[in-house]
Amino acid sequence: MFRIDLALKRGFRSGRMGALRSVVAAATLLGGAGAACAAEVIVGLTAWPSAQVTGHIIGELAAEKFGDTPVFLERGSVGLLTAIAKGEADIYPELWSPNLDAAVQRVGGSLTISPRSVAGHQGICATSAAVRQTGIRSVADLTKPEIAAAFDTDDDGRGELWIGDGSWFSSNVERVRARSIGYDQTMQLLEGAEAVAMAAVDAGSALDRPVVFYCYSPHHVFVLHDIVVLEEPAYDAARWSIVAPADDKDWLAHSRAETGWDKSSLSIAFATRLTTERPELAEMLARMQFEPGDIAAMSYAVEVDGKSPEAAAEEWLAANRARVEGWFK
Amino acid sequence: MSGGVSRRRLLALAGAGLAAGLVGAGPARAQAVYSQIYDAKRKKWIDYDPSRAQQYYQAYGSVPAEFKRQLVPFRTAEKPGTIIIDGDRHFLYLVQPDFKAIRYGIGVGRDGFGWAGIVSIGRMVEWPSWTPPPEMIARDPRSAQWANGMPGGPDNPLGARAMYLYEGGKDTIYRIHGTAEPWSIGLNISSGCIRLNNDDVTDLYSRVAIKTKVIVLMSGAALYRGV
Repeated sequence: MFRIDLALKRGFRSGRMGALRSVVAAATLLGGAGAACAAEVIVGLTAWPSAQVTGHIIGELAAEKFGDTPVFLERGSVGLLTAIAKGEADIYPELWSPNLDAAVQRVGGSLTISPRSVAGHQGICATSAAVRQTGIRSVADLTKPEIAAAFDTDDDGRGELWIGDGSWFSSNVERVRARSIGYDQTMQLLEGAEAVAMAAVDAGSALDRPVVFYCYSPHHVFVLHDIVVLEEPAYDAARWSIVAPADDKDWLAHSRAETGWDKSSLSIAFATRLTTERPELAEMLARMQFEPGDIAAMSYAVEVDGKSPEAAAEEWLAANRARVEGWFK
Repeated sequence: MSGGVSRRRLLALAGAGLAAGLVGAGPARAQAVYSQIYDAKRKKWIDYDPSRAQQYYQAYGSVPAEFKRQLVPFRTAEKPGTIIIDGDRHFLYLVQPDFKAIRYGIGVGRDGFGWAGIVSIGRMVEWPSWTPPPEMIARDPRSAQWANGMPGGPDNPLGARAMYLYEGGKDTIYRIHGTAEPWSIGLNISSGCIRLNNDDVTDLYSRVAIKTKVIVLMSGAALYRGV
């Protein structure tokens, strides 16, 4: 037997990226002149596809509009925040909230987050076959044994539910949610590599089989398959209290999360000094606006179509020229 | 819902196996190496009389149609050439371009049941030799004659081809291989890991290479950390 604690191939959330962060931090630092060099813009690239495509879009536009030379710096999410705070990088293409809120607070005023953001979502999803065959509509429906049994893949009478990679912050929260809402009694909760879970969605869809799984958007799975986000009560801070495993060995028993997740969002962020040193660039960054479909399409172009982030960025720019020009008016 | 058929077939056969297991120690015990089936409700392997599956195979000349090799629609982010194994439904997919996959019927053994993850093909062998593990020799004295290795051939339980699955450059002990018992495709039978009939395993072997990515789904779930 072997464990599936495989290193994450890609990190969709920086808060989840422990191992990869350190690996990427050791990667290339090109140029090195830093942000003080006016014509050189250091664009951070965190290790997931939509952030990399967005980074290349920013780099292309900075070159096209202002004659800048973009330099791409591969870093983990927290490492990139630190680099910006130290003046070693300028731009953070895709910053997730609430996942990175604590880390953002630590770097203080050195970082400016664009007021424009893309709404994200975290929750439990179902294949269309699941909805059609079981009538499931809500997360709470998973507490019904007859519905839960429809997701059984090992003939023990309980369904299986992937709640995320074991290294993800969100997986702890999903364990708490299952316990608080009660479907930990009817469903076997599984943690493991995302690629395995996504392949299970692929195989389930190919056979029109019901599958439920932890999901977040924007994500290419919504483009690949007919996926339904299960309903649940809106986030309520009074019914949501997560204790960190590092702080309490009985964290699960002492945590509670009875509602859906708080609103998630992803935004472009940049070094605050750009507002005085490079105001035209800072204004562009603050005006850039993506839609959830853009982010999912970027992820899809890289993950499914096998394009390089640079090529995907060029194609996106070519296909959205009118919108892009609107950012500069 | 072709996938449902395999489940029904499995349960029906498991029922037959239960009956056989209760019947007695004699012939059933003699078949022990090749005739146990997984009872998920009781979470244990039980003796199983394979005659029913063998009769089906003899009557129709093959396993049920859904387990025959076929090209199927398959939407995935995995690249062409990737293998995805669904032990629950007894299918192995080889991803092809344009959202298609070649689907093979598989049998899943005791060792192939209850693990999940991402591995790769580390070694490929035609007509592999086979060495029974010590616990099998202890359980079935007949296998002792092969303690130093059974040469490859039609009676070898690894069948015509074997693809050895590695993780991090090391052999996981799991294999995708052929079988001397083609009637067992579609079943959870105790011997072997992930079995295809010899024609299919030869076809698959010809289409893959060392380093091919293999994703094993969470059927059985033991290696996913159940919480």
